[in-house]
Amino acid sequence: MGMQIGGTNEFNSEINVTPMVDVMLVLLIIFMIVTPLLQQGVSVNLPRDMISPEEDADIAKETSVIVAIPDNSNFYIGKEQYPLDALGDVIKRRMEGKTPEKRIVYIKSGVEVDYGRVVQAIETIRRQDIDKIGLVADRKKGVEAPK
Amino acid sequence: MGMSTGSSDGATPNINVTPLIDVLLVLLIIFMVITPLKPSRFEAKVPAEPKDQQNVNVRPNPLTLVVAISKETKGITLNNEPFGDVSDTDKLSNRLREIFKERENNGVFREGTNEVEKTIFLKSPKSVRYGDVVKVIDAAKAAGASPIGLQIDDLTD
Repeated sequence: MGMQIGGTNEFNSEINVTPMVDVMLVLLIIFMIVTPLLQQGVSVNLPRDMISPEEDADIAKETSVIVAIPDNSNFYIGKEQYPLDALGDVIKRRMEGKTPEKRIVYIKSGVEVDYGRVVQAIETIRRQDIDKIGLVADRKKGVEAPK
Repeated sequence: MGMSTGSSDGATPNINVTPLIDVLLVLLIIFMVITPLKPSRFEAKVPAEPKDQQNVNVRPNPLTLVVAISKETKGITLNNEPFGDVSDTDKLSNRLREIFKERENNGVFREGTNEVEKTIFLKSPKSVRYGDVVKVIDAAKAAGASPIGLQIDDLTD
């Protein structure tokens, strides 16, 4: 009775790790490919755990204009950095030929940024005759979108 | 010569599908995790730039709701009455809900439409963190406010 320890029987007690390694490698490769694709533009510390922002698939579209403000000193559109006074022209150019209901500029601002910097960006946007702003924020997980 | 088809030798030509299923399940799980990360946003409106002539005859609208954030105390005021602060926005959203409910019952509509007037304006000093401003917007939106106007002229530092 009892377990046989160190017995010299023919059973091999090693775990076969080959399938696990397979799966892990596949995971690794997928994440390597997907991560740069998912992120457009610069990374911004967006406001998180919000209850009521509406979903908007247009944010992810290539044609929409997103002003990113990761910190107090920079403005980005896409991956390009622009000074504040050049921002207006870029927005104007990218907004050309859009229907009135599509004339919305999204702002991705970090939570630590001063509201004054965001206001500067909004002022520039307003000068291009755009009065709709989308403030991008992450919804809290598990909360349904408001109707 | 030639291949022997249908011969009855001992080896059975079964493909081992277990690793394939492993990999596919992992893929499935990854996509299930990634998909809910749909982007979302708060829509806000910006009032038109004020005209040069200062003495425009604007009748103050008694229905206007102005939410303001104080720079020092981070307190929130609604039409100059204090309602909590940025770390506790429940007071504000409860009060806004009450107001909107009352307006619905009394049939207070936006001029020229038959929608209940739920416009709010947000005013915040320039040095307030953007995160705090968004929290207040979130509370207002959760209470049903729409549209939200961001006042960007004549802000204090």
